Amino acid sequence: MTSDKTPTERTAGALVRPFLSGPSDGAGGADGARGSRGADDRADAPVPDGALRPFLLTAGRVAGQDSIAIETQVVTTDSGRTAVDQLGFERRDIVSLCGNPLSVAEIAAQLSLHLGVVRVLVGDLSADGHLSVYLPNADASTDVDTLLRVIRGLRAIG
Amino acid sequence: MVSAQSAEVGGPTRRRPPLPVKLVIAGGFGVGKTTTVGSISEISPLTTEADMTSAAAGIDDASQVPGKRTTTVAMDFGCITIDESLKLYLFGTPGQDRFGFMWDDLAIGAIGALVIVDSRRLDDCYPAVDYFERLGLPFVVAVNRFDGAVAHDLPSIRWALAVDDAVPLITFDARDKLSVRDALLVVLDRALAKARAAQTKR
Repeated sequence: MTSDKTPTERTAGALVRPFLSGPSDGAGGADGARGSRGADDRADAPVPDGALRPFLLTAGRVAGQDSIAIETQVVTTDSGRTAVDQLGFERRDIVSLCGNPLSVAEIAAQLSLHLGVVRVLVGDLSADGHLSVYLPNADASTDVDTLLRVIRGLRAIG
Repeated sequence: MVSAQSAEVGGPTRRRPPLPVKLVIAGGFGVGKTTTVGSISEISPLTTEADMTSAAAGIDDASQVPGKRTTTVAMDFGCITIDESLKLYLFGTPGQDRFGFMWDDLAIGAIGALVIVDSRRLDDCYPAVDYFERLGLPFVVAVNRFDGAVAHDLPSIRWALAVDDAVPLITFDARDKLSVRDALLVVLDRALAKARAAQTKR
């Protein structure tokens, strides 16, 4: 692959590729990076930040929903249950998994996906109506009644 | 997507999820964070990976560091169902302090933090203590009693850590469920005192 390149390209490639390949990439990093750029239809654009695998899952986006905290609860909707067979791969896994409420962190752990990827996919699926996303109550952690409930709950452990 | 607190987005569902609250379990590498989470969590601790490019957006500017494209970190967590409408999540911070960029994700909106200390390696917990002090998050320093022994007495540890007298310093056994529960209750106590102080101010 490198033999037909001009010297400049070879130098750049030699410098850039190893840094771009994440630990998961291994030796396939160079080819993978090139393929990703082609699929992007923006061959001149710089290879974006991030490992390649998560990128493919999110169609190239890293800007997840910042509002989706790791403890955010996610539940599959009726629409999601109906559409589950038409969804692909990770999206289907998430919709299948969330029949009962789960946090974003649990989804990431159970499906072995990066948190950032789950945020992006959950945002998409929510926009499509397949998932309900319950944003956590921002004041819960400083609410006296909530804290008293947590204290009672912990004391009951024994 | 962005809507009122606990609002439902996306359509009808069968079941309303519990309100999640979270508590951070921090400390240096190998002090017993995962053991602590595992002792009290009703699920065995789960591990997830977070990617720096998303987790650290706006915090660490990776574009300024050539070759520093992505960092993958592991994070352990567990949960405790308080009642049918309230669930407590315990998030262990990634141990190495170079992963500090991820802590905002864990700490913002948290009730408080338990900073676990190995009395033989006190300096491991400095980043955590610094971080929670700066954030103003209620925290408790808990010395893990490895094999029932603590290498220094508590006043010496408090002196070495230079934490405020108001910050509780306790010992606990990360392997013992009730000991972990009691340590968490001390954190809750601090959080409650802070919440009540804020309430009277209003």
